[in-house]
Parts: sequence; C-alpha cells; structure tokens
Amino acid sequence: MNKITDDDLTLLYYGEHDDPQLARTVAGSERLSARYDALCSELQLADAYLPPQRDGDYGIEVWQKISPRLGEKQPGTMVRLKSWLVSLTKPRFSLAGAFSLVLVVALAFMLGRNGGQEIVNSPGETPDGSAVTLAGIDSKRLLNQSVSGHLEQVNLVLTQFANSDETSANETTYAIDMLVANRLYRQAASARGERKLAAFLADLEPLLIELAYGAQSGSPATRERMQQEVREGLLFRVRIMNKEVNKPEISA
Amino acid sequence: MIQTEQKIIGKAISGDRSAFRELVLEHSHAMFRLAWRLTSDEVAAEDIVQEAFIKAWRNIGRFRMESSFKSWLHRITVNTAMDHLRKHARRKQFETEEPEWESSGQQGVTADTGTQIDIRKQTQTAMMNLSDAERTALLLKHYEGHSIDEIARIMEITTGACKQNIFRAVKKMRIALSPLVAT
Repeated sequence: MNKITDDDLTLLYYGEHDDPQLARTVAGSERLSARYDALCSELQLADAYLPPQRDGDYGIEVWQKISPRLGEKQPGTMVRLKSWLVSLTKPRFSLAGAFSLVLVVALAFMLGRNGGQEIVNSPGETPDGSAVTLAGIDSKRLLNQSVSGHLEQVNLVLTQFANSDETSANETTYAIDMLVANRLYRQAASARGERKLAAFLADLEPLLIELAYGAQSGSPATRERMQQEVREGLLFRVRIMNKEVNKPEISA
Repeated sequence: MIQTEQKIIGKAISGDRSAFRELVLEHSHAMFRLAWRLTSDEVAAEDIVQEAFIKAWRNIGRFRMESSFKSWLHRITVNTAMDHLRKHARRKQFETEEPEWESSGQQGVTADTGTQIDIRKQTQTAMMNLSDAERTALLLKHYEGHSIDEIARIMEITTGACKQNIFRAVKKMRIALSPLVAT
C-alpha cells in the first residue's frame, strides 16, 4: 500500500478521501490511528474559533439597514421585459398585446413573401451584391431584429418557467403567444433561406407547445424534466442564437 | 402555505422585494458567522453581510437555479470580505488589537478560564495568520461543511488548488495548535 500522508488523513477527517478502504486501514494500524487521533484533537481545537452571537432579530436588523439601499437597483433588461410581458396580460393593455401580435404576423408575412422572391433569384442578396431591401428597409436586418426581440422574450419565459414550481395562467398565455410568433418567424426564416435560424426555431417549437398546452395537465415529473431540459441546454442555445442574429450577418 | 426556498428565490429574481426579505432573514446569521470568521472583526462582518446582500439583490438575475443558493451567497460574502481585507489591511491591524472576546459578553463559549481564553486566542491568531485563500478554504470546509468541489466553485479555483489550500491551512493550524492539546 502507498504511504498514507497527513493530507490523506485530512481528507479522511473531512470525509473527502476517495479510497473507501482508508478508514479501515487507519483503524487497523496503531501507528496510523495515533496519527489520526492527533490530527483530530488538533483540528477540534479550531472549533473554539466561535463568532460573536447575534440575537434572533439580526436578520430584521440587516433588512432594515439594506432595504433603503435596494431601491438604488436599476431594473435589468430582463426585469423590464418581464414587466412589459406582465403588463400585456392586464386588461388595459390587452389591446396593445393584440396589436403586437398583429405586427408580428404582418412582419413575418412581409418577410416571408420577400424572402420567397429572393430564393428564386439570389438568396440574401440582389444581383449587384447589396442587401435586399423592402420599401427601403433591409429585410434581413428587420427579420434579425424581430427574431432577436422574440428570442429575448422566449428567454424570459423559459427562465421564469425553469425557476417556478407551479404553472401559472400567465406562463401558459406567454407560451401560446411565443408559440404563435415562433411559427411565424420560423416560416419567415425558412422562406428567406435562413436555414440555421429556421432549424433552431423548429427545435424550440415542441417545448413551446408543451408549455402552452401540456404543462398545466402534466405531472410534476414531466415539468421537472422540461425544466431540466430548459436549464441544461435550451436557455443557453436561445442566448447563443440571439447573439448570432444580432451580428451584422448571420450565416444560413 | 410554506413556500420552498426555490420558489422564494424565483420571486426574488423577478424583482419581488418581500421574497428577497425572506432570504435575508433566512441567511443573515450564517453569513455573519462566515464574514466574522474571514475577518475576525465584528463591525467589518456586519458591513460585509449588508454589502453582500445588496450585491446579491443587484445580481440575483444571474443566479442559476441548478446551483445552491447558499453557495452563491457564500461566494458573494467571500468576495466582499476579501475586498474588505484588501482595503483595510486587516491582518496587520489584527496583530496589534486586543482579541474581540475580551470586550464582548456575547460569545458562544464562556471564556471563564485562562485555558479557554488561550485556546480561543491561539485559534484566532492561527486563523488570521493563514493566507486569505487558505483561511477561506479551511473555513468553508471546517465550519460550513461545503464539499471541496463546492469550495472550488465558491473560490473560483480548481479542486486541486482548493485541496492544497486546505492542506496548507491544516498544517499551519496544527503547528499553531498542537502545543495546546496537552493543556
């Protein structure tokens, strides 16, 4: 057997040693036991390093001191986006929400049509190599910007989903909106020849469908599985794709 | 209905201050203990706890739910304490100051004998003579019970480096404390 060092005994003391036999080896050897006992006695003295006690209200005291300073926090983009999404569910803004959806539909339709023409001629560019424009607008840029906004909202909805225990009515509503928008953007991307983007949006769709129509009736285990899927890969992919569409050019 | 911490964290992430208050009430004592052990300074530890919670609130959107919230808070506390130690060169001051327990009646252990005071004084001195990395690694292992992997994540070092810090810290502590074992 290899020589047992003090570092091995330290790991044993803290329950971190990889070798399950070590404890038995130490117990079976008088010399090793003596070394181990000495280590234990010395480390146990460290327990005397006791902090001053705080009374039971210490947490309240901390809160009272910090709460005026929490107001200094500027809400991040995610929080603002969330507020906006929440506002869409309130009756006074429901019309604005519906209008946003109409805009998405109209935009996707325009981009899809325009993209279809480009595929017949020369994908992505006019014959002279310049970006295709639609009534003076760079349609590719418009698609990317719109998809970027969509992905930010998807990111927000998925983050919220990954962090909550129960399905809320809001979550379902957002997911339905996201699903509708996602399909339209997928079609627009596909029609424009943006194959990578279209494939990514297609990958996103099954989860949005589950969120929109299946999450409420699903079991906790199903929800946990979906949350794991979101946390372990999908959120990351959404963020990466969002970065890509924000680049000046995105390869199809 | 008792809310799970995960649910409370989720609410705090979405900007709910009352949910964050729950987290402050839950974790203040533990954060104070850690901050005090890192600095050996009661006033500094209180400041660090407050500063760490403010940082936590501002950055809670970056917290990933799959990791431990306690570990995340500990990481912020450790970083805040390190900033404090760097700013105030605490270790130099420590050598010239009276140990705090001599002026405080709120200790966890009654310092009623010379031997106990010696042990506490020696332990505190030994702790503060460790490097910041050694002390942090040892504290997180010995008092907080984090695994070596967790400590490595909190300190943003490799597990190998983490182990080495613990080994060095243990060696130094043993040298400092072994004369007290016989007493």
